[in-house]
Amino acid sequence: MMIYITTIDGKEFLVEIIDDRHVSIDGKIVEVDFESVESQPIFSLIVDGKSYEAYVYEGEEDIEVLLKGQLYHSRVEDERERRLRAASGGGVVESGPYHLKAPMPGLVVTVSVEEGQEIKKGGVLLILESMKMQNELKSPRDGVIGRILVGAGDSVEQRQKLLSVE
Amino acid sequence: MFTKVLIANRGEIAVRILRACRELGIKTVAVYSEADRQAMHVRYATEAYLLGPAPSSESYLKGDKIIEIALKSGAGAIHPGYGFLAERSDFAQAVEDAGLEFIGPKPSAIAAMGDKAIARETVTKAGVPVVPGTEGTGNLSDEELLTLAPEIGFPLLIKATAGGGGKGMREVTNLEEMPLLLESARRESKSAFGDDNVYLEKLILGARHIEIQVLADKFGNVIHLNERECSLQRRHQKLLEEAPSAFVDEDLRQRMGDVAVKAAEAVEYESAGTIEFLVDKDKSFYFLEMNTRLQVEHPITELVTGVDIVKEQIRIARGRKLSFSQDDIQINGAAIECRINAEDPHNNFMPSTGHISHVVLPTGPGIRVDTGVYTSSEITPYYDSMISKLIVWGETRAQAILRMRRALEEYKVVGVRTNIPFHQAMMDSHPFMGGQFDTRFVEEVFSMEEITEGKETFSEVAAIIATLVQHEQTERAAHVVRRNVRDTSNWKWLSRWERLSK
Repeated sequence: MMIYITTIDGKEFLVEIIDDRHVSIDGKIVEVDFESVESQPIFSLIVDGKSYEAYVYEGEEDIEVLLKGQLYHSRVEDERERRLRAASGGGVVESGPYHLKAPMPGLVVTVSVEEGQEIKKGGVLLILESMKMQNELKSPRDGVIGRILVGAGDSVEQRQKLLSVE
Repeated sequence: MFTKVLIANRGEIAVRILRACRELGIKTVAVYSEADRQAMHVRYATEAYLLGPAPSSESYLKGDKIIEIALKSGAGAIHPGYGFLAERSDFAQAVEDAGLEFIGPKPSAIAAMGDKAIARETVTKAGVPVVPGTEGTGNLSDEELLTLAPEIGFPLLIKATAGGGGKGMREVTNLEEMPLLLESARRESKSAFGDDNVYLEKLILGARHIEIQVLADKFGNVIHLNERECSLQRRHQKLLEEAPSAFVDEDLRQRMGDVAVKAAEAVEYESAGTIEFLVDKDKSFYFLEMNTRLQVEHPITELVTGVDIVKEQIRIARGRKLSFSQDDIQINGAAIECRINAEDPHNNFMPSTGHISHVVLPTGPGIRVDTGVYTSSEITPYYDSMISKLIVWGETRAQAILRMRRALEEYKVVGVRTNIPFHQAMMDSHPFMGGQFDTRFVEEVFSMEEITEGKETFSEVAAIIATLVQHEQTERAAHVVRRNVRDTSNWKWLSRWERLSK
């Protein structure tokens, strides 16, 4: 039997996997029938006779569940992971450089900042054109611009590093 | 009379035109870029020819090459679809000069309506009201525009003279911020259209964007097919359209229709076209622009009027009279179109590219999906982000909304993020249901979070799903490790393997 602590948008649930057909959530035992349908990442879940369909996107940190048009951010940890995170102080660390990566392939229209420049949270770092639209990529926090790795007119691949904020 | 048509476009609209041709028994010629070798329009056409590399400037915008292919393949006409070469009068002229039929208006009409300043001047002469702005004053410098701006009054819009689709458009609330906005509008316009000329237009607050579809043949018959409500936009890109508009009554419909016909007649229009109007809350309306082409949202008009607009375009180009008179045009029920884009509504509508690994289309009564995307196709950064148009019909507007909800829930696209959740939230929004919205609604009033707030949440179900996915993954990882552990010694394995290979 495995015990997980699952957080959905900040709310914690204690989920125990009892066997292939049974799960206990916060001490309440429910009958489940869980299958991957059509193709990943669509899943079908029948829980106590109620049928649900969801998209599940696995990110680096969390799992996103798109269910009935609503997006749920979730984090699933077993007890060991949980203890480790508690020991390390938990929470998201705001130090260390932030690397801006291209969220999609495209063309760099303008780099709006210079190396060594101070930037406020929400300040525009770079304009990337993709799918005929210009997208402003903004700084997630205050900082100083570190290395800039691209210039205007460069084509970039998805997840390519563009610049860093220190 | 031509019996073979070249379609100078890609994606859903190329497929739409191909379908009309097929039904009419007309042969088709597709053109494609290297990125579109496997696209639906290439596979559905009678003939297909490569244009060049993926960027549109090296493929779908190569007018000369397209005309050359048309001549070589024996196509008698070219349908430009929308976007790309559809509103380029020089291309329409070149098609005509090559002895081919351009399925659209005459080059002179495209030119007259294509330059927004000339367009406004032309329709004003025909008695059509326009929005105050620097109309017909030619290409003004920044200094001149800054002087004229206070006369028009704030807020106002900077718009690209060669523009469309919201590119090169900026909103100005005061004189101080205007120089910077002029600079960025000119830059965007230059990169999108190769022309950095802009003009100013008064911004009408609380305005709705309502357009009238017109059809005109070569014999001077012009009719209109009523209105489409297109107010739901984001960054001046339409997201959802409906016909008829809940805001338009019979009197307004007639007045707008009459004016639209007048505007089309002013440029001796032929084929299908659309007159866009801004309508303020007092039901006064102003001419915005004329789109001298087939519109993305044409299907909703087709569903409520029963007119096949693309077939009518082909009929007109073949020199036949319109199949309908104004009296034949009625409105039956209501239609809604949702543009399904590869954009993540949970992440500021960021475009999403990738491989479509799976698609489940909604089907059943009253549903139409126009798309060029199928399982295993690629969403590339080269073209726009529209995956498909989901169009529904209902006996009433309320029925259409309920049907759209049902269709959106059935629609599954795997591989990229889509704006389907945005449309689902819109269908649940009270102002939308009540028909109470203007062109600012999506950006300033509507909030997906707010809509979902009052709704029943399924956190518990989400928790079970997330946990089971994680659990299965952990199990699988453990399983892989175990499989590598052999149940017998490696020496035994080696000797067995040696015996086998002897």
